[in-house]
Amino acid sequence: MKEEITPEQSLLLIARTIEETKTRFKENGHIMILWGTLTFIVFVSQYIFVQIGWYKLFDIAWTNILFLFGGIYTLLYTWKKLKNKNIPKTIIGRIMTIMSWVFGINLMIIGIFFGHRFGVALGPLFLILFALFIIMIGVSIKFKPITIGGAIMNLMGFAAFYIDPQYHGLLLAAGGVVAMVIPGILLNKAKRKENV
Amino acid sequence: MFNDLNPILHSQLRLSIVSILMTVEEAEFTFIKETTGAAAGNISIQIKKLQDAGYVKVEKTFKNNYPNTTVSITDKGIKAFENYVNNLKKYINPKK
Repeated sequence: MKEEITPEQSLLLIARTIEETKTRFKENGHIMILWGTLTFIVFVSQYIFVQIGWYKLFDIAWTNILFLFGGIYTLLYTWKKLKNKNIPKTIIGRIMTIMSWVFGINLMIIGIFFGHRFGVALGPLFLILFALFIIMIGVSIKFKPITIGGAIMNLMGFAAFYIDPQYHGLLLAAGGVVAMVIPGILLNKAKRKENV
Repeated sequence: MFNDLNPILHSQLRLSIVSILMTVEEAEFTFIKETTGAAAGNISIQIKKLQDAGYVKVEKTFKNNYPNTTVSITDKGIKAFENYVNNLKKYINPKK
């Protein structure tokens, strides 16, 4: 059977197929919400530990356990998702995965081994680095709330230089909510809407 | 009627397959099947035609002990797709 399609139908078919393909492997906000929540819990608890004098006792172990849990969960979640859903490989997806791991490992190394060398600039540095990464995610998946959340976090990083260092942790916690938890929830909502 | 349009690409299913492959680096056969909603046999035939034209590359491997077919677009396929889209534009808007 010879099918005859018009040029208009062809262009429409191309546009629809490309859109459908993008929708099928669009990331959901699950991992963003997880990391935003972990960031919030870790930095708020750090602040509380400092206030009640438990800082040295619990802080490092607590922080590492939570972030390590986040890392292992992310690894398993991504692996399971790729295995079950036949997600195709994309250049952006590959770059994002590599950058996520490079970024995460670098932040952990800085935080654990070299944090003291940055002195009071550590909090603003973390905020700015987090923000750059989040903006990159927002731009690459073309989702404005993530880009805006990242931009707000970026400004919070510069504002942190004018704020007493003892509150830097709370700024990071707030940044986690503004740039990760809220955009993550909005991303999930947008994804659900597309699937209806 | 549309003589200048590449006949290999000017078919609904083949055009859908190539459009998918233009969006990704490579895609598994099942992903193409789920996205196009076409029957597996029909997809196989169309992929073979695209492969014979040199537009796609097919790799057959094993995943969890099951055969797994992965398809990716070639440079020739990308060029053919770009030409096809340019020709479509000319048909739709001949003055440009």
